[in-house]
Amino acid sequence: MLGVLSGLAAGAWLGAAEAPTKLVSVGVSPLVISLVMVIGVFLARWSLPALILGTSSIGADLRRTPHLIIWAVLAGCIWAVANTLTIFAIRDIGLSIAFPLWNSNSLLGILWGVIFFNELRHADWRRWTGVLGGALVMCTGATLLAVASSTQAPAAHPMRGISAALGAGILWGTMYIPYRKAYLSGMNPLSFVTFFTFGELGMISALAIGYLGLATLWHELKSAQTVLFWLMLGGFIWVIGDLFQQYAAKYVGISRGIPLSNSNQLWGLLWGIFVFGELHGSSPSTYMQVIGGSLLMMLGVGAIAFSSATDKEQVQWREAAQRESRRYSIAADYVEARLQGMRMAGEIKPARTWVDWMLVVAATIIFMVFAVMAHAPIMSLHWGAAALLITSTLLLLLVCSLALWRTTRFN
Amino acid sequence: MEQTDHNNDRPRMQFASVLTDIHFWVPLAVLIGGLLLLKTIH
Repeated sequence: MLGVLSGLAAGAWLGAAEAPTKLVSVGVSPLVISLVMVIGVFLARWSLPALILGTSSIGADLRRTPHLIIWAVLAGCIWAVANTLTIFAIRDIGLSIAFPLWNSNSLLGILWGVIFFNELRHADWRRWTGVLGGALVMCTGATLLAVASSTQAPAAHPMRGISAALGAGILWGTMYIPYRKAYLSGMNPLSFVTFFTFGELGMISALAIGYLGLATLWHELKSAQTVLFWLMLGGFIWVIGDLFQQYAAKYVGISRGIPLSNSNQLWGLLWGIFVFGELHGSSPSTYMQVIGGSLLMMLGVGAIAFSSATDKEQVQWREAAQRESRRYSIAADYVEARLQGMRMAGEIKPARTWVDWMLVVAATIIFMVFAVMAHAPIMSLHWGAAALLITSTLLLLLVCSLALWRTTRFN
Repeated sequence: MEQTDHNNDRPRMQFASVLTDIHFWVPLAVLIGGLLLLKTIH
């Protein structure tokens, strides 16, 4: 239940992360948009874990499972390349074709979960149908939503765009191998993401400098300084969604966690339609596609949410965790305790130090500096709908955080 | 003394374990493929 709740909260927050980026309408290079969002992500990934648990907990995790740094950095690099590929995919074939192609990452995630981490092993046919069928139904719903929300621009380079979209899907689907490995080894999601972000920021910086050149990149950043805050805010909100996604991957596995997090498209569309008035004046068939796609996505989410792992499957998960424990000489009682979201007997309770408060203060100051430089966008927003969506998203944050705190103390 | 030797060997053993772990090679191969694809389409 905790993992399902985390997956649903992840979808809401990942979808809400799109809202600040919609405020940016000036001609900024997509690579610069990605880079600035990732800078916001970097700040959030260091300040939020410091605030929630403290960096001493991250250090303790690192001493127990130092090998996982390699996987965290690898996953961050994969995310950055996938994200850049999506930019090319949207440019070449449009969102309506590109999105369903890379959204197939959930199907690849299910495959890796079954092959490498014993997920769905010894599961009955109803659970197989629920997870696989639910993911397929969600893909269909996502296709309808993408078609409805796109402009249907003619494809300039169809093969190039399709390759980029499929490539992004394969990269994102594979990125969950490091996620699952880390959590089966007992690492705290808050620790994993702090190292993940080095790969993410390093790779996106290398790509931006490599493709644009340092001089052009600097010029673009300077000319876009009034909108940098909105992009960084988008990155910050995205991190909250991603943290819940990490807990979903930990507590329900990647085969169920990824499709649940992919419900972010539904939330993104709610923001687009009701707050930004994106489909205003569209044809009735477009609205039918939106309603049909949304219903299919909700049906898929429901099917997966009600296909929780049985005791037999949980035994298989434990076997996969024991493999990690043996291979990397991790204390078995540590892995077992962390799998259940608990601390090992005798493990010191994490405490915040002045370093943590410094990180939080530094991140806050950086955000405030960019907020002062930012200009409020001139566009009409539906504030009533925005208030409703913000309230729902905050409610999910509160409920899910409380559940995680009470059950696992964010372990 | 044995314990100290074991602790000194741990990073080397872990590194060897990483290099023989398919969980490492599959994401790495996919990352390299992604970078090559990006280079091709850019």
